[in-house]
Amino acid sequence: MKVFIFFILTLLVSAGAQAQSLDFTATETRAILRHGPWPAPWSPDPSNRVSAHPAAIDFGEHLFFEPRLSPSGKVLCATCHVPFRGWQDARARAFGLVEVDRNTQSLLNVRYNRWFGWDGAGDSLWAQSVRPILDAREMGGSQAEAAALVRGDPELSCGYAKAFGAPPPADDARVLAGIGKALAAFQETIVSGRTPFDEFRDALANGDRGGMSRYPPAAQRGLRIFVGRGNCSSCHFGPGFSNGEFHDTGLPFFIRGGADPGRHGGIKKMQSNPLNLLGPHNDDREGASATKTRHVVLEHRNFGEFKVPGLRNVAQSAPYMHNGSLATLADVVEHYSTINPDRLHSDGESLLKPLRLSREESADLVAFLESLTERASTQQPRRPSTPCRR
Amino acid sequence: MIAAAVGVAFAGSAQACELPAGTRLESQRYALSYRTIPPRIAVGEQFVVELAACAKTGSALPGRLTLDAQMPEHRHGMNYRPNLKTTASGRYRSEGWLFHMPGRWEFIFDLGGERLTHSVRVE
Repeated sequence: MKVFIFFILTLLVSAGAQAQSLDFTATETRAILRHGPWPAPWSPDPSNRVSAHPAAIDFGEHLFFEPRLSPSGKVLCATCHVPFRGWQDARARAFGLVEVDRNTQSLLNVRYNRWFGWDGAGDSLWAQSVRPILDAREMGGSQAEAAALVRGDPELSCGYAKAFGAPPPADDARVLAGIGKALAAFQETIVSGRTPFDEFRDALANGDRGGMSRYPPAAQRGLRIFVGRGNCSSCHFGPGFSNGEFHDTGLPFFIRGGADPGRHGGIKKMQSNPLNLLGPHNDDREGASATKTRHVVLEHRNFGEFKVPGLRNVAQSAPYMHNGSLATLADVVEHYSTINPDRLHSDGESLLKPLRLSREESADLVAFLESLTERASTQQPRRPSTPCRR
Repeated sequence: MIAAAVGVAFAGSAQACELPAGTRLESQRYALSYRTIPPRIAVGEQFVVELAACAKTGSALPGRLTLDAQMPEHRHGMNYRPNLKTTASGRYRSEGWLFHMPGRWEFIFDLGGERLTHSVRVE
């Protein structure tokens, strides 16, 4: 009798599990599987000789929380990239010494990027890490001041020496590049954890219907829109949910006093930056790391294009878009549901069309996006900083 | 569009029009073979194109060869401009390729005004 009851219960549970799992087509399944596995493989940055080096990570962490990199003593990297706020600041537009024109991007998974910043003005994480230090509106520092700080402060000088194997040199530019490389080494350790979507994706890969059924039906329906008629995964591609490139999404790019040129300005800034990968500070000058920099092309259509952000932990990174103009994920879905093609660049892509989602479909898509966020942070709590000089 | 003035005079006969292994395409006057390195193109990963061309009728190779790629359905091309170098007579190497979206991409080869295309699906 007990065996019979167990058999019946098993059948019921199994039937329930199957009822809660959509039958994805082969095409949908292929598209879904491309968003994993997570964490994705990663290898250290060849352009940064201290990438993944523990001493550089320690030094970079120290610098990340160092207010004196801003001569004001009031702004540090963590002012905008707040660890307990998903490494962003929850503001529409970043505020360093004054408010700037763009939203702060989260640093989660930043190591997987090809270009850095909303406009891709950084072709390496270390070059990008220097940018806010020198920006008059953000930290307001200078190359000479940053280098003098690291050379003159015994603790920072010790950290530099441990990271790079030699004390900070007299050449300010080399010290500044070193600051960027240590900051990059630290930021490369900031990776988001596994999410309900990852559990579903792996269950799908393994044909585990029971595992799949634990993924909420609304999220499954939203996922179907995401990889299907929504066409979202064309740009939000791969395990990190970004193809790493730039697109015009029909948002206004007017800012105080003009227009934000987006990618068009980013390419020009990158090409004139002495810290770019074609310059003397690249530790991989003969390798392939600079290929993208050498071959990227500046075109008129780049005007108003902004980086496709990754979507992992997206529920923690409101507000959204390059200018922080959309407050919630529901607003983002509404934007793409009702996008006006006339606002796209005249020679823009035909990829974006209004999705015209129903209220239920919009809610499903939001449920899917929320499932890309880890339930609890798996980030290691920050270690208490230990003195370098021992 | 990327372009290279290859300027290679080719005086071989039709019999000499032998191409290395790869995807073979033919126009009225020319034949070409190309391959990518690595062979499988992945979204967001750089790759190289190696190309060989010869004249089918023994006439000279085109004075100008251009390569490009686009996504016809999306009406856009690449965000990168690859180079094109001649490595030997009728042999070329092109670096700097990157397909940034999944879907159908179309290689476009222009040999002296004769256009050849070949589509690949990138996942």
